[in-house]
Amino acid sequence: MAYLTWKERFIIPTYDNPAYARSGRVTIDHEKCNGCGMCVKICPGSCLYIAGVGKEKKAHLMEVEFPDCMSCNDCAAICKRDAIAVSQTYDFGYFYKIIHRGELVFPRRF
Amino acid sequence: MAESVVTEEKPKKKAECGEMYTWHEGMEWNPVERVILERRSVRRYQDRQVPEKLVRRILEAGRFAPSAGNSQPWKFVVIRDREMIDDMERYVRLRCKLLRFFLDWRKSPLGRLAWFYAQVAIRLRPNQLHPIPCGAASLLAEGKFSLFHGAPTVILILMDKRGVSKPEIDVGICGQNMVLAAHSLGLGTCWIGFVELLKYGVKWRRKLGIQYPYDLVEGISLGYPVGDPDGMIARELHEIDWWENGLKKTVF
Repeated sequence: MAYLTWKERFIIPTYDNPAYARSGRVTIDHEKCNGCGMCVKICPGSCLYIAGVGKEKKAHLMEVEFPDCMSCNDCAAICKRDAIAVSQTYDFGYFYKIIHRGELVFPRRF
Repeated sequence: MAESVVTEEKPKKKAECGEMYTWHEGMEWNPVERVILERRSVRRYQDRQVPEKLVRRILEAGRFAPSAGNSQPWKFVVIRDREMIDDMERYVRLRCKLLRFFLDWRKSPLGRLAWFYAQVAIRLRPNQLHPIPCGAASLLAEGKFSLFHGAPTVILILMDKRGVSKPEIDVGICGQNMVLAAHSLGLGTCWIGFVELLKYGVKWRRKLGIQYPYDLVEGISLGYPVGDPDGMIARELHEIDWWENGLKKTVF
């Protein structure tokens, strides 16, 4: 489990080094995706795009080092076919490191 | 203020309304839980304006929020004028450009000096200069990100600084009441924190009434969403410390 070390309490990186930060990422099931583009419209980080023609239109995450994905799951909420979901949450590391968290789970009916 | 004795009839209570408000293990979500769990921040709006009465109804939900000592330290400013909204966006974009000039050492003409300012400023304001608002400020400055996301109505919440205890928290509670009411009525909302940059402009301070005792804390954009963005999603579990029977256990 992640805890903050003494060093990490004081280092506030200015992100010279991209290794400090981890962006969010999504997985897209291309079997289910029909390329409707709603996820592209709704994404607040503008990190999705549609590629392909006609029936082959599919959504993709921008293939960059650090897509601006904030793992908000807006794309998962709007997709009518449940083709897209967050696979990795963002974590800026050091001073901003995520601690005391578990995995991604839907609302549980206790 | 005018003296008044309430003469209308009290509305019927929820407890008299139905079975779905009594908990049984594993039961279906009731409407209130559904609104809470399906809420998503909406950043794409239709052009049509929200009817005035509907906005008043949502403000009513805010009016009844709890607050420390019942001080109700909020004041609503509702803006439905497209030009005024665009004007505010332009001002915030200008301030973001200024911020970028002094702090974004990657792009600023100040170069290394900006790096030094950034090191100092991040330690003075680590919450406001967190990577995410810095990224958003950069996008705002470039014009790639719209502050109010094209919403037809914007509600600004002013905080009375003389409020009891922690008026910022009371403003948050009030705002969330309004957000949930709006989502339950088919609207979309998004919390806009960057409105606080408006208080650095004298023109805006005067126009919006952000003068003693009020301070601008948050804004909420309101409108009809494009598509159907509300839905349940998976979110990280949080570690919970559970103290019971003299023992502590960790639950997720």
